[in-house]
Amino acid sequence: QEVTLKLHQFLPAQANVPKLVLDVWADNVEKASDGRIKVDRYPSMQLGGKPPELMDQAIDGVADIVWTVVGYTPGRFPTTEVFELPFMMTNARAVSRAYWEMFEKHMKDDEFRDVHILGTWVHGPGMIHTKDPVEKPEDLQGMKIRGGSRSVNSLLTKLGATPVGMPVPAVSEGLSKGVIDGTTIPWEVTTALKVPELVGNHTEFTGKALYVLTFVLAMNKDKYESLPDDLKKVIDDNSGLEFSVFAGGTQADSDGPARQVAVDRGNNIITISEADTEEWRKLSQPIYDEWVEDMNKRGKDGQALLDEARMLIDKYTE
Amino acid sequence: MTALEIGIYSFPALMILIFIRLPIGLAMFLVGLVGLILVTDGTNVAFSRLKNETYTTFSSYSLTIVPMFLLMGHFATLGGMSTALFKAAEGFLGHRRGGVAMAAIGACAGFGAICGSSLATAATMGRVALPELKQYGYAGGFSTATLAAGGTLGILIPPSVVLVIYAILTEQNIAKLFLAAFIPGILAAIGYVIAISVYVRLHPEAAGTRPPVPMRDRFVALIDVWPVLLVFGLVVGGIYMGWFTPTEGAAVGAAGTGLIALLNGGLTWRTLSESFMVTAKSTAMIFFIVLGAAFYNGFLALTQVPQELSNYVVSQGFSPLTVLSLILVFYLVFGCLMDSLSMILLTIPIFFPVISVLDFGMSAEHVAIWFGILVLIVVEVGLITPPVGMNLFIINSMDPKTPIIETYKAVMYFVGTDIIRVILLVAFPAITLFLLPG
Amino acid sequence: MKQVMMGLSKLMAALGGIVLSFLIVLTCVSIAGRLLNGLFHGSFMQSIAPGFSEWAIGAGVGPVNGDYELVEAGVAFAIFAFIPLCQITSSHASVDLFADFFPDWLDRLLRMLTEIVFAGVLILIAWRLYDGMISKQRYMETSFLLQFPVWWAYAASLFGAVVSAIVSCYVALVRVYEFVTRRGVLDNGVETN
Ligand code: NA
Ligand code: NA
Repeated sequence: QEVTLKLHQFLPAQANVPKLVLDVWADNVEKASDGRIKVDRYPSMQLGGKPPELMDQAIDGVADIVWTVVGYTPGRFPTTEVFELPFMMTNARAVSRAYWEMFEKHMKDDEFRDVHILGTWVHGPGMIHTKDPVEKPEDLQGMKIRGGSRSVNSLLTKLGATPVGMPVPAVSEGLSKGVIDGTTIPWEVTTALKVPELVGNHTEFTGKALYVLTFVLAMNKDKYESLPDDLKKVIDDNSGLEFSVFAGGTQADSDGPARQVAVDRGNNIITISEADTEEWRKLSQPIYDEWVEDMNKRGKDGQALLDEARMLIDKYTE
Repeated sequence: MTALEIGIYSFPALMILIFIRLPIGLAMFLVGLVGLILVTDGTNVAFSRLKNETYTTFSSYSLTIVPMFLLMGHFATLGGMSTALFKAAEGFLGHRRGGVAMAAIGACAGFGAICGSSLATAATMGRVALPELKQYGYAGGFSTATLAAGGTLGILIPPSVVLVIYAILTEQNIAKLFLAAFIPGILAAIGYVIAISVYVRLHPEAAGTRPPVPMRDRFVALIDVWPVLLVFGLVVGGIYMGWFTPTEGAAVGAAGTGLIALLNGGLTWRTLSESFMVTAKSTAMIFFIVLGAAFYNGFLALTQVPQELSNYVVSQGFSPLTVLSLILVFYLVFGCLMDSLSMILLTIPIFFPVISVLDFGMSAEHVAIWFGILVLIVVEVGLITPPVGMNLFIINSMDPKTPIIETYKAVMYFVGTDIIRVILLVAFPAITLFLLPG
Repeated sequence: MKQVMMGLSKLMAALGGIVLSFLIVLTCVSIAGRLLNGLFHGSFMQSIAPGFSEWAIGAGVGPVNGDYELVEAGVAFAIFAFIPLCQITSSHASVDLFADFFPDWLDRLLRMLTEIVFAGVLILIAWRLYDGMISKQRYMETSFLLQFPVWWAYAASLFGAVVSAIVSCYVALVRVYEFVTRRGVLDNGVETN
C-alpha cells in the first residue's frame, strides 16, 4: 500500500463504536482504495496519552485519525455544545445530520480549522438511570448523579441533585457501592456497565432527550492534504454527511437491545410524556441562557445558533 | 530499518543504558524519544506528545493515590505504629527460637497493611527491629535477610502501589485486586516464618534467646496496635465497601495516620518537613519511571511489537501454562536486576496482551487478577534476590557491619518459600480468586 | 551555590508537600460532605429532624464541587515540585550492578553524561509543557466541572518544571566539574532517605 493511516481512539476494539462504526469506515476506505490505503487501528489509547489529548494528537499528527468525544476538551468547541443542551435531541440520525450541516456552515473554518473533520455525530437519547424512581424533576433532589455533559451537570445542580464527576468505566462500581445513586447515559452503554442489574429505574423522555454527547472523527490536516487526489476522493466519498448519519444511527441502533435487557429483568421503565417533558424543558431555560451568553461573549450570535440548531433538528426529525 | 525492527532493537538499547546506570525512568524516556523520532521520521510526533503527556501523566486521578499512600506510611511511623506492632508481636513470639525474627515478620505484615510500598516497609521496620535483633544476639546476615524479606509484605499485603499501577495498566478494578492479594500476602508471611524456623534449626548459633514476657504485658502491648487496625479497616475496608474511591481511601488513610501522629506527639514541624522530603524523593522517582514507561510503551505500540509478539505466541500454539511459566521465570531472572515498578511498567503492556488471548478456563477478569497477583509476587521476589535487590541494599546499608554476602546467603531461605508459594498459586488459582465475589 | 540549589529544591518539595496535604484535607472534607449529604437526605434524618436536614443541605453540606479536578491539578504541580529534590539528591532508581566495577574515571564520566542528558530531557519537558500551556490558553480549554482554564494548571506545573530544569542543569555542571577536577561535590545517591 502507499499510505498507512493510524486511527487512535479510547475504547477497546470490541466496543460498539470501534466495531460497528470505525472498523466499517476503515474497511470501506481500504477496499475503495484497492488496498492503497491501510488503516492501522490503535484502540484503548495504545499510542499513549489520555482521551482529552486525542484532538491535539490529530492536530499535531501524533495520530492521523482520531475518534473523540468533543466534551473531553470543554470550552474548545463551544458551538458543538448546542446539541448537548438539555432537550434538544430527538433522534441520533436527525441530530447527526443537523450537526454536520451546522458544522459545515459555522465550525469547519472556525473552531475546527486546525483539523480535517470526517464525521460528526451524536449517540442515542441520553437518559437517567436511578435506584429510586424519577418521575418528576423534584424526585432528583438530593440524589448523587453522574452527569454525562457539562450542561447536564448544570441542570442537575439546578434541580437539586448533586452532580458527581466520574469517568464512564467507574459507573458500575459507583452505583454498586452507593457513591452515586444514578447516572445519565444512553441505553447503549448500560449493558457493558451492567446498569440494569444495579438500578431498578430508567427514566426516558418522549420527543426530546435529556442530553447527548457530540463526537467527531478527525483527521490530521497535513496528512489529508498530502494524499494524491484519487485517494483524497476515497476519503471524501466515505466521509461527511452520509457517514455522520450512519455513525449516529448505528450507535443509536444498539439502544434497542440494551433496553430489552432492562425490560426482561422487569425493571421499571418510566416514560415521561411529551407534555411533562415540556415541563422539564422549561426548567432548562437558564442553561440555554447561559450558553447563549457564553457564545455572545465569544463574539458569536448565540441565539441565532440555538434557533438554527432547533430548526434543523425539527426539519430532519420525521 | 522497519518500525518493527526499531522496536525490537530498542530492548538491547534500553538494557545497555540501564546497565551503565542511567536512571531507569530516564532510560525508558530516552529510548522512547529516540525510537519515536526514528519511526516517525522526525521530532514532530514525539515533541507534540510531550506538550500534554507530562501533565496528563502526573495529573492522572488513579495515580494520585501514590504520593498519598507514601505519606500515609511516613505518618504511620511518626505515630509510633511500627514500634507498637513490633512490641506486640515480640511479646507473643520473642521467647521462641528465632522468635524475635518471627516477630519482625509479623510486624512487617501489620505495617504492610497500612503502607503501600516495599522499600518504606523494609526501611521502617529495619529501623525498629534491627537494633532489637542485634541486642538478642541474632546473626547479622540472618537479621538483614529477615527484614528485607519482611519488607516485601509491604507490597504483597494490600494496599499496594505496584497493584495500583498494574490495575491502571490493565484496566482492572483496584478493590478486587487488593482483595485477591490478601490470602497470598498472608501465605507469604507464613512462608517467611517457616523459613525462619528452618534457618534456626540448621544454624542454631544464628539466633539468640530472650526470656518470655509476662502474659499481662503481652496484652497491654497488643492494645497499642489499635490505630493500625483502625486505619487498615477504614482504608482497605472503605475502598472495598465502596465508601470511597482508592484515591479517596489513601487520602483518608494519610489524614488518619497524620492525626494519630499529631496526637501522639510524633508529628512536629520538623518531622512533617522530613516526611515531605522523603515523600518528594520517592514520588518523583516513581512518577519519572511512570512517565518514561508511558512514553516508551507508546513508541512500542507504534512499532507493533506487542501485537506481533502475541500473534507469534498464539500461532505457535504453546500451552497457556507454558507461556505463563516462561513469563514468570523471565520476571524472576530480570527481577535479580531491576526494581519491581520499572519491570511492571515496562513489561505488562507487552505481556498482558499475550496472556489475555490465552485460554486458562477462567473469565477474562479472573485471568487478569490471577496473573496480576502472580506477577506482583515474582517481581517482589526480585527485591530480595541477589545480586540486585533493593530491599537487600536498603537493609544492608542500615547495618554496615554485616557484609552483603551474608545477607545474600540467608535470604535464599526466604526466596525458597517465595518460589514454593508461586508454584502453589499457579497450580491452584482458587487460592487467589476464591475471596472475589461472583 | 550548593546551599542555594539545595535550599531551592527543599523549598519546592515543601511546597509540593503542603499542596498535597491540602488536597488530602480537601478530599476528606468532600467525602464527609458526601456522606452527610446522603444522611440528611435519608429517611432517618428526614423523619427526626427535617428542618435541620433541609437547613444543612441548603447551607451546602455536600461533596466539594470539582474535588477530583483540584486533586488532579494539584498533584501534577506537587510532582513537578518534587523533581528538583530528586535530581539534586540523585534519588532516581537505577541499576548499580555493573557500574560498581567500572574504574573511577569511567564512573565519573558516566555520571557526567547521565546528568547532562537528564538536564537536556528536563529542559525539553519544560519547553514542551510551555507549548502545551500556550495551546490550552489559545483554545480556551476549561475543566469539566469547575470550568477553570486548564492553562492555569499547566502554568503551575510549568513553574515546577522550570525549577527542575534549572536544578538539573546545576547538577550536570557539578558532575562536569567533578569529572574534570576529580573531586566530589554532590552525593552519588547512596543515601536511602
Ligand atoms: Na501494603
Ligand atoms: Na533482585
